Order: sequence, then structure tokens, then C-alpha cells
Amino acid sequence: MKRTVTPKLAAYAVLTALGLLAALVAGRPELALIAAPFGVVLAAGLAGAREPELRLALELERERVLEGDEVTLEVDLHARRGASRLEVLVELPPEFELRSGPGRVALHLSTGEERQLELRLRCGRWGGYSFGDVHLRASDAFGLLAWEQTIEHRLQLRVYPRPEALRELVRPLETQVSTGNRVSRQKGEGLEFADLRPFAGGDRIRLINWRASARRNELWVNEHYAERNADVIVFLDSFAEARRSGEGTLDQAIRAAASLSERYLAQRDRVGLVNFGGVLNWLRPGTGPLQLYRIVEALLNTEVVLSYAWKQIDILPPRTLPPKSLILALSPLLDERATSALLDLRSRGFDLVIVEISPEPFVEEPPGVSGALAVRLWKLRREARRREYERAGAPVAQWRQGEPLTAVLEGVSAFRRHARARA
Amino acid sequence: MGAAALAALAAGLALGPSLVPAGVAGLGACWGVSAWSRGVVPGGTIAAAAAIFVTAELAYHSLDQVAAVDEGELLARRLAALALMGVGALALSALLLAALGLKTGGGLVLEAVGVAAAVGVLALVFALARDERETER
Repeated sequence: MKRTVTPKLAAYAVLTALGLLAALVAGRPELALIAAPFGVVLAAGLAGAREPELRLALELERERVLEGDEVTLEVDLHARRGASRLEVLVELPPEFELRSGPGRVALHLSTGEERQLELRLRCGRWGGYSFGDVHLRASDAFGLLAWEQTIEHRLQLRVYPRPEALRELVRPLETQVSTGNRVSRQKGEGLEFADLRPFAGGDRIRLINWRASARRNELWVNEHYAERNADVIVFLDSFAEARRSGEGTLDQAIRAAASLSERYLAQRDRVGLVNFGGVLNWLRPGTGPLQLYRIVEALLNTEVVLSYAWKQIDILPPRTLPPKSLILALSPLLDERATSALLDLRSRGFDLVIVEISPEPFVEEPPGVSGALAVRLWKLRREARRREYERAGAPVAQWRQGEPLTAVLEGVSAFRRHARARA
Repeated sequence: MGAAALAALAAGLALGPSLVPAGVAGLGACWGVSAWSRGVVPGGTIAAAAAIFVTAELAYHSLDQVAAVDEGELLARRLAALALMGVGALALSALLLAALGLKTGGGLVLEAVGVAAAVGVLALVFALARDERETER
């Protein structure tokens, strides 16, 4: 531990010296009397000061929590040589809120004593956190000398995004060849009735529709729609975000991406991830719980990184965006690179759905007439951009902070149904 | 003068420890001037010594609470220690006062001892400060 001299020691030494000198100069011993207790404390403190020997261990109750959950952090202190006053400060990430327990406390530790401090933390924001540095400052009985030490710990805590409630998902227009839970447009093995056709050699007996066969005096068989899975790519725009009072569009996008991935994977679809931003990440489509973990882990590392490099969709590896896949784009539509890439995807024939994480609740309107005019122009420009996507055949659904995502997705599904009906 | 000393002490408590010694020294000086002008009362000297010392201790105790608040057990221990130190200061002052017999002219030997003590304390401060700089390096 690093030894330091406290301001009190210097002050007491100065007061003692000053009292003694004043007594000498003025020839009045009473002034020396006033200084005497300071001198005695100084001498006793310096003579009796011993460096404390401390051991410290930190333990987290869990390594994985959901956003908004609480977790207990235990700080175990053991003194081989005690400290009259020990200040303990546990360094926490700013996203964590201390609900109970001492984040910063001064206590007494006798030699051989063990103490346990319990800190209850609320994890306010998703992400992967590495924290746990503890600052210790021990002082002697008179507070004249101090010993400081920072003990570095690397506790790992994964805070997963809070799931959004979803009743309905956007149905992909096309399915793939693997078996799944979606009714395909192609006929094949399945449960959903598709059509009737005359019996042909090789047809199974159980497919014969006896009622239709009796009416037509020849054998007719039922045809079914095949049950297939679909490829869904979650396209996350992390070029820019709008943020205000601890909440931002990226937080909403991450929650939506995690919830959508979980729900599509539960329906046996293949889900992939494209994190299109200053740092480009992607995950090829896959199925199962392992893929969900991969996606969530990739989402936890997402951050908005400032970059001026112009990026197009060509830089993605070819198999990242399989043909006939549904691309669910989560974007605040703030960066030209992302908005151009989305139009590019649609022009390549991908089934594109854009969930616009509305930045408007996070924007503070500038004062004055010109400020209001600027905001109005900005909104009009965004509206024009939406129309451009809709003309290209990609529905844009606005998702505002506080609104349920499921309502937004239902709006998208309705748009797609009407678009098909018109076609 | 007393008001200035109290103001310095209050400023020290509000802004940081650097002004506390000035406040305590000011209180001591205030008492010294008062005693010189009105005449020294032995009981008053003892009480003033203990009161100024306890004031300084309380001021540093308050400043300690800025960094981290004392737990209940530690607070009780410190208050008990402060009470003991206050009684100790009273006893020490009484003892020294009795030893001095309130004689103002102590002679050359006593003054030499006083000068040596003052210089010793200052040397201690410089030594500690130098030691501190070396530790930081």
C-alpha cells in the first residue's frame, strides 16, 4: 500500500511549531500550552502508526442478468493487521444504480477481523460489463498517515436487453427448403390443405379425399402446402443514434433485435444478424438456442462508432444475406449510408421491412422560429424518405419510445396484406 | 479577529482542509490576545487549550466524512476517542500549567529547549514531506 501524509499531520505540525514559536517570541508559555495537545497527538500518531495488511475478495451473485434486474455484489474484507479507519470505494459502471448497501463507506477493522459488505445493484442498461476495482484508504488511529491501494478486479457481468412483448411476427414472403413451422407457397408434405387433384400412380392411400372421389366417380387426392422455415436477417443500423437522458434509439433497436431473434428462432427459422455501422459485424443465419446466444452476445458488443468511411452493402460476405430472406431493418434512418444500403437491398429483390426507431422523442426542438422551421423541414425530409421506401415496396413502420413493438409489427403485417391484395 | 478565525474555519470545512489550520491558529491567537489584554486565568488556559484542540479534531472529523461516511460502529469509536482526547488535553494542559507555575521568563535554557522543540517539529514536517515525494516517485 502506498503511504501518504494527510493534511491533518501537516496542520498539526504547523500548529505545534507556530504555538511554540509564538510562546518564545511573546514570552508567554500559555501559547505553548495551547500547542501542546497537537504536539502530543503528532508524536503519538507517528510513533504508533502501522501499515495495515488487508485482503479483499469480490463475488457477484450471477454472471448474467436481464436489463433492469438487480444483482448482489459481495465484498469480503479480511484484516491481517487492522485499520482504525478504512474507506472502501467500489467502482461501478455509470449504468449501474446502487439500490442498497455502501458504495463508499468508512469502517473499523480490528486485526484478524473479517467483514462482508453487500451491495445491491440495478443494471440499468444492456451490455457486457467488466468492473470491480476497489479503492482502499486506511488511516491510523489519529488520522495522520494514510495508506492507499487500488485492487483491480475484473468481474464480468452480461446484462441482456429487456425483451419486448411480441404477439405477432412479420411473415416472410418466401420460405426456404428446410422443414419448419411456416406454411410454404409450394405444395408438398404438410398439414395445411392446398388443393385437390386426380389420383396419380405413387400417391398414398391416406391422401385420397373419399368425399370428392365419390362425387366425381374417380379417385381424387388432397394436396397440402409444405411446412418450411424461413431465413430472417436482422439488419441493425448502428451508424448513428439519437440519445437523451440515458435512453436512445440504439437501446430500443437492441431490445427489438434480441426479442425478434428469439421469437423467430423459436419458430424454427434461421436467423442472422448484420450490424451495419462504424464497425461492421455479421452472423450468418442459423437455428437453435446456440444461435440465439451468438446473436445476443454480438448485440451486447454493439456501440455507435464514429466513422466517415462510406460503406455499401457490397462489403458484406455473400452468404450473409441468403436469397429469399426476410430482412428486418431496425434503423433510426439518420445516416445516409444506412438509408442508401436499405434501398440497395430492396432493389436487389430482398423482402425488406423497415422498423424506424423514431428519433423524434429524443430531439429537443431548437428555440425560435428558425428552430421550429428547421425541425419541420427535417420531419418533412424524413417523411419523403419513408415514401421513397414505400414506393420501392418496403413498408416503413415508425416505432416511438414507449409504444409496444407488437403493435408496430401488426401494422407492417397489415400493410403487406393490403399490398398483396392490391397486387 | 475571532470572527475572522471562525470564518476561516467555516471556509475550511466547506472548501477543503487547507484553511482549517489558519482557522485554528486564528482561534489560538484570538485567545492569546485576549489573555494578554485581560490577564491570564489558569482555568481559562486549560479550557481554551482543550477547546481549541477538540475544535480542530472535530473539523478534521467532518472533513473525513466528505470522502466516506463513517459506519455506526466507527462513529461511536471515534466519538469515544475524541472524548478521551479532550479529557487528555485538559489533563495535559493542567499538568504543564502546574509544571510551569505560570512563570513567563523561563531563562535561557528553557528558551533553548523551546527553540529546539519548534525547529524539531518543523524538521519533522519537512522530512515527512520529502519522504512522501520519494514514495510517489
